[in-house]
Amino acid sequence: MQISVIVALTLLVLTAFGFLIGRRRALAARGASGGRLHSLPNYYGYYIALWTGGPALIVLALYGAMGAGLVNTLAMTQLEREAAPLIAEFERQLDNDAAYRALLAQAADAELDAMEAREAIALARDAGLDPQDFQSELARQTTRLTETGAQLDARRGEIVRDVAARAPSTDAGIRARAGFEYWISPNERRELFLADARAIAFGAGLASRNTPELRAAALAMRPVEDVFRYSAAGLALALAVGGLAWARSRVRGAFRARNRVEAVISGLLMLASVIAILTTLGIVFSLLFESLRFFAAIDWRLHEFLLGLQWSPQIAIRADQIGQSGAFGAVPLFAGTALITLIAMLVAVPVGLFSAIYMSEYATPRVRAVAKPVLEVLAGVPTVVYGFFALLTVGPFLRDAALFLGYEDAVTQSALSAGLVMGVMIIPFISSLSDDVINAVPQTLRDGAYAMGATKSEAIRHVVLPAALPGVVGAILLGMSRAIGETMIVVMAAGQGANLTANPLESVTTITVQIVTLLTGDQEFDSSKTLAAFALGLVLFTLTLMLNIIALRVVQRFRERYE
Amino acid sequence: MAHDTHPAPSTVYHPAPPGMDTKIAARDLTVRYGGALALDRVHIDMPGRAVTACIGPSGCGKSTFLRCINRMNDTIDTARVTGSIRIDGEEVNDRSIDPVLLRARVGMVFQKPNPFPKSIYENVAYGPRIHGLAAGKDELDAIVETSLTKAGLWKEVADRLHQPGTSLSGGQQQRLVIARAIAVNPEVILMDEPCSALDPIATARIEELIDELRENYALIIVTHSMAQAARVSQMTAFFHLGALVEYGPTEEIFTNPRDQRTQDYITGRFG
Repeated sequence: MQISVIVALTLLVLTAFGFLIGRRRALAARGASGGRLHSLPNYYGYYIALWTGGPALIVLALYGAMGAGLVNTLAMTQLEREAAPLIAEFERQLDNDAAYRALLAQAADAELDAMEAREAIALARDAGLDPQDFQSELARQTTRLTETGAQLDARRGEIVRDVAARAPSTDAGIRARAGFEYWISPNERRELFLADARAIAFGAGLASRNTPELRAAALAMRPVEDVFRYSAAGLALALAVGGLAWARSRVRGAFRARNRVEAVISGLLMLASVIAILTTLGIVFSLLFESLRFFAAIDWRLHEFLLGLQWSPQIAIRADQIGQSGAFGAVPLFAGTALITLIAMLVAVPVGLFSAIYMSEYATPRVRAVAKPVLEVLAGVPTVVYGFFALLTVGPFLRDAALFLGYEDAVTQSALSAGLVMGVMIIPFISSLSDDVINAVPQTLRDGAYAMGATKSEAIRHVVLPAALPGVVGAILLGMSRAIGETMIVVMAAGQGANLTANPLESVTTITVQIVTLLTGDQEFDSSKTLAAFALGLVLFTLTLMLNIIALRVVQRFRERYE
Repeated sequence: MAHDTHPAPSTVYHPAPPGMDTKIAARDLTVRYGGALALDRVHIDMPGRAVTACIGPSGCGKSTFLRCINRMNDTIDTARVTGSIRIDGEEVNDRSIDPVLLRARVGMVFQKPNPFPKSIYENVAYGPRIHGLAAGKDELDAIVETSLTKAGLWKEVADRLHQPGTSLSGGQQQRLVIARAIAVNPEVILMDEPCSALDPIATARIEELIDELRENYALIIVTHSMAQAARVSQMTAFFHLGALVEYGPTEEIFTNPRDQRTQDYITGRFG
């Protein structure tokens, strides 16, 4: 049986045993001292069980999280030490290799020229001149740099093979070769090397290669791993027994076991919320850092990104055109997002609000009991289904209608069809939230209006709606942030063209659609084209965050007034 | 309509004070909420230009009675009102009576101050506006000022008429609501425990106001405070379990109650 299974079972048994002991001891203490226990007997059981299982589990979790890394580091450090002669030889050869040094000089030269060309382009642009010549010079130097780099890599590879071949094919020699291969590899190759070695050593997964060097590394890992595994198991069991004994010694009649157990539980609850918060922070920071990389790639010309009128990220993948003015101008996306959001809100706000008024003020309880859940079903329809509906039903219908009315340029994928369907999607948000808010308006206000001789509709228009207004505004803002962040409907129904237009019958594109387009398919992950998606994401996040904060503030103010 | 099989409740009537003009007259007034009997065949004559207090333990039907007078029970779906209630001889429950117009004649003030989410000025101007009582801005300004003055609030709010009504204190809000009711120049003002949400000083201020309003309006006030009923009212009606038990001049009810239940209630045996 696997040692981990044995340890787990033993811990389980010990924990259960601890619980029973705690209970028994508490009952005995009650008998001895003639009555008074601070907590119910079970709490003493939980207390001992927590001290038995808790520290041991933490040790096992730490081992699970960091054990493999430590084993790898220790094993590979040992192998690298054995490879020291090879490494010294390699460094000597590299320093003395004439061809390699010539290539290095050439690369430095190309880099210098490229930098000069870049400066010249900037100067020419500032002076209002055409930077065309300098741009082709920059392209030439960039190509030269790339070619020299490839030659450098090739020469270095030759030296590596030459040095490695010097080690004898004995066990010691192969161990040295393994250490050397690991030392010479860049980071991502090192990870692959380690993964393969672990696969060979512990049969965890499939190795992509199986060389003598990998087998040597695997052999080096095994004993280290064993030491760690047994010591972790031993430590866990020792902690379990120790915790049990210590906790048992503390159990007396007056001991506040209940408070201790509850402190642990509240700690666990806090941990859960901390995880949620940290995840959010992690998402925000990853967005932020990738966006910073994008802004660096466009030379911090933020205004061009935020105010530029032309969005065509495709032409910018060529090295000489990075940051070319206009390529990353996001205004057409903002305009497209705004247009579709506007259309959606024009549909959702009146329909949602009126249905909320009907539901809360006019509908009989029987109608309300049926209509409200039906309306809320709309909120459960997957957005991709709305997408079908927009693309296959609404889009063609609108196109045909526009053609019939004499508008020749009508297309299927239009801002109007995406906006209409998105509006339908948002109706339940606005109607449900507004309904709650209208219901929260105190009955005394309505009575006051009726007692003044107001009719029902006067009471609603003059008194109930003004009272509910902040909450309704909050509902509308929340619906709006949904509309801005909505992706699937616009991907399917709004088209891709980054047109800067106010005509709802043309196809437009939104922030979310562009993020999808930029990040799907074969992409290099460090081109500014891909990084632009993160910057767009950051803008989107900031927008919806601000809308949500405002909306929540408004709704909160409303609640404070009436509760 | 379910037929009431049990005998009609018998009410002790004290002799009315000489010269009492009847403003509101109820005959066999019965209210049911769903199946529950809330008011059982009430027979009463209430005077104009006087304060009538309705007292009784919780759930005795006094608020229900009040809400019959301006047909506020119409807003409760389950409420069924039968019998007759007349103001100046005119049948309130008659189909030809538009409750909207009726409520312009019968103002109402509620337990909790409920100013509308509007400015102080707009709160008072609301009634005149929806009933078209003012010909122009000047006339409306005059109505607002008069009403606020009558409610004893003008001096406190004259310089901030356009702040929200909810910015006032609880007692001020209640007086604002009274001004709002006065603004449509009603004949009757109903008050449903108008002081129960107020502190003693604000209460004293409202009671003073009620005493002043008596000159021009018929006031009917529901209250849980016996002391308040004794202080402000000229006539008192004691309700118990939906029935009117005893009715007469306040002084007589409090000094010489004839029904055992009335005596028990005003001496604090139950309630």
